[in-house]
Amino acid sequence: MIEKSINIEDVLSLPLDPKEQKKAVEEKVPCVAEGRLKVYDPNTNNVKKFLELLQSRLNRSVVGSMTACVHCGMCSEVCHYVLARPHDPTMVPAYKGDQIRRIFKKHFDWTGRIIPWWVHAGSPKNDEDMNRLKNIVFGTCTGCRRCTLNCPMGVDTAILVRLTRGLLTELGIVPEGVFVVSKDQWETGNQMGVTEDEYLETLEWMSEEVGEEIGDPTFKIHVDKEDCDFMYTINPREVKYDPRSIGHAAKIFYAAGESWTMPRWGWDMTNFGLFSGDDKLGAFVAKNLYEAAKKLRAKRIVISECGHGYRSTRWEGYNWAKYSQDISSESVLVTLIRYISQGRIKVDPSKNSLPVTFHDSCNIARSGDLTEEPRWILKRVCTDFREMFPNRADNFCCTGGGGALSMVEYKPLRMEVAKIKAQQLIDTGAKQVCTICHNCVDGLGDLIRHYKLDMQVVQVLDLVANALVVPEKKEEK
Amino acid sequence: MSEFLKILENEVQLVALAFMSAVYVLRLLWMFRFKAPQDFSYGVGSSKVGVAYSMMNVAMPWAMESVRRNWSFYFQFVIFHLGVVAAISATFIIPYWPQLFDVKVVVWIFQITLAAAFFVGILRLIRRISKPALRLISTPDDYFSLILMTSFFASGVFAVPNKHTAGEWPLIIFFAMTTFFLIYVPFSKISHYLYYPFTRYFLGKLMGHRGVFPRKRGGEKPAGLDNEKALTK
Ligand code: SF4
Ligand code: SF4
Repeated sequence: MIEKSINIEDVLSLPLDPKEQKKAVEEKVPCVAEGRLKVYDPNTNNVKKFLELLQSRLNRSVVGSMTACVHCGMCSEVCHYVLARPHDPTMVPAYKGDQIRRIFKKHFDWTGRIIPWWVHAGSPKNDEDMNRLKNIVFGTCTGCRRCTLNCPMGVDTAILVRLTRGLLTELGIVPEGVFVVSKDQWETGNQMGVTEDEYLETLEWMSEEVGEEIGDPTFKIHVDKEDCDFMYTINPREVKYDPRSIGHAAKIFYAAGESWTMPRWGWDMTNFGLFSGDDKLGAFVAKNLYEAAKKLRAKRIVISECGHGYRSTRWEGYNWAKYSQDISSESVLVTLIRYISQGRIKVDPSKNSLPVTFHDSCNIARSGDLTEEPRWILKRVCTDFREMFPNRADNFCCTGGGGALSMVEYKPLRMEVAKIKAQQLIDTGAKQVCTICHNCVDGLGDLIRHYKLDMQVVQVLDLVANALVVPEKKEEK
Repeated sequence: MSEFLKILENEVQLVALAFMSAVYVLRLLWMFRFKAPQDFSYGVGSSKVGVAYSMMNVAMPWAMESVRRNWSFYFQFVIFHLGVVAAISATFIIPYWPQLFDVKVVVWIFQITLAAAFFVGILRLIRRISKPALRLISTPDDYFSLILMTSFFASGVFAVPNKHTAGEWPLIIFFAMTTFFLIYVPFSKISHYLYYPFTRYFLGKLMGHRGVFPRKRGGEKPAGLDNEKALTK
């Protein structure tokens, strides 16, 4: 797996491309016209704005991570960028964190203000410096938090990276893909710009498919049905590229005799605000969903398979929106465990006989709470489950995290550092890698193609649906 | 004992200590000026347990892959910090409880600890200089602090016998360095121990609330399996 290493200067000097931003201004896209999504303005003092924004975003936890780093270098032992590029010191997590830390020291810390050179404090001088900062925080870190859990001081480098991304997003100094996806989510309420018609048509189509499969032509995925046991929320990728995963979930819920619905608006549980660092976008998307559940008087919110979506909806969204949680929310995995353990669905593991391994999504294993749940299910729906090493909170990122999939300009670097994950996959000897994240499906898919691995990516819902013993026509609640 | 050394060991130290404490108080006030983050989500774990787990991290080297990959670094860490404890203790024992250093075994224990810490300091310096990644992130303060600590350990080796009759220079050097330390530390990275509780507290609180801390190793009961607590709150 020897690859020619790319020159990091080529990445760090990638210019800002504001083409899409200009187009959005010309087209008077509402979120841009109303100032919810910012565009780059070369005529403003961006450095000054950046510093003002930094001041307003500091909290005690962030300040702790700004001040506590002792430059011990322990984090360099665990970042997949460093492990894949050991010759390149700029990959070290502390170096990435230092890019914002030095600015903090220069403007907010005593020693840095008085003798900046002594602690490497400094300020960006111009937009070019900020563009370089953009390439570091968006291009060389997936925010996987592996370094965070391995820092003896408890420094959260991933949070510093996200904070910096958020400040740059407020100035429009972002990769083009970040702008486009943010715009789509502001405008349509979902990351992929899926229109309401497309969404409803897909649900209709899936209703027909599932109805045919289970032999019940009256079967229907309900939209905006009130007083259900839960409201099911999905990743727009499921509508756009993988509708069968909606079908799989529907089939399982049917088999369990579940009372469930999907909302017309507020169905996207993914949240690009997590990646762009834009808490306002994060709050907008999360609130759409929480309010939809409230309006429909759903007893629970069930989140389909997605790493960052789960983290955003289950945890961060409430904080971004300052919304006190009032309805329980859970991953669909928890729902599945309940069905299997209570005998509400029957599964036949012999239907999944290929050797399968499990990839823990960073956002769930290190920033969420689900590591045992997928394993519990996989051991019941497959005959040959193989653990990957390291695993759980020690697992390596699929390398498509942190919104990396939307930033094509950094793909060569992403593919280079993916060799760590590729080796992990090869070592399992499995033919299938299962993940509970649509983002990881694409991240792993990319590296499987790139490194020509004999492996296919599946999700828990796929395997459960495949193993499902479909009952005779069941009364839906 | 000369009058100079007496003042250096007592009044000068106390003034320097008062200065350091005052700066630390200001520093803490400054930290508390920033708002603490709030969590609005239902937790599945306990923030308190998470905080305790996070704080205990220092005593659980196996919990971090970075340490598992490099055990020697953890031993170096322990020795270095034992050296810090020994050196700081010596600055109080010499003026206020000198009889303790009349016991030869105690002096040897201190000397061995300080000498070991000195060697670790040298190793750390070599590591910092020779590894390109560490060189890139290291600031003058990082080098200076390390050199200062390492020299402090060395001076401690000669100071702990506390023998004025054999010449006062080892004690004068040791206490002069202590004075400098007390004044310099609040402005340098050596004061990281002041921030450690903050970072570990917030990380522990967050990860405990979400059930990530204590770290799962396999075999834990999954949510959804009669674990209704995880389903509701
Ligand atoms: S491990 Fe933590 S303290 Fe050490 S260099 Fe990395 S971020 Fe800084
Ligand atoms: S968050 Fe992950 S990718 Fe980013 S620096 Fe840390 S270990 Fe590396």
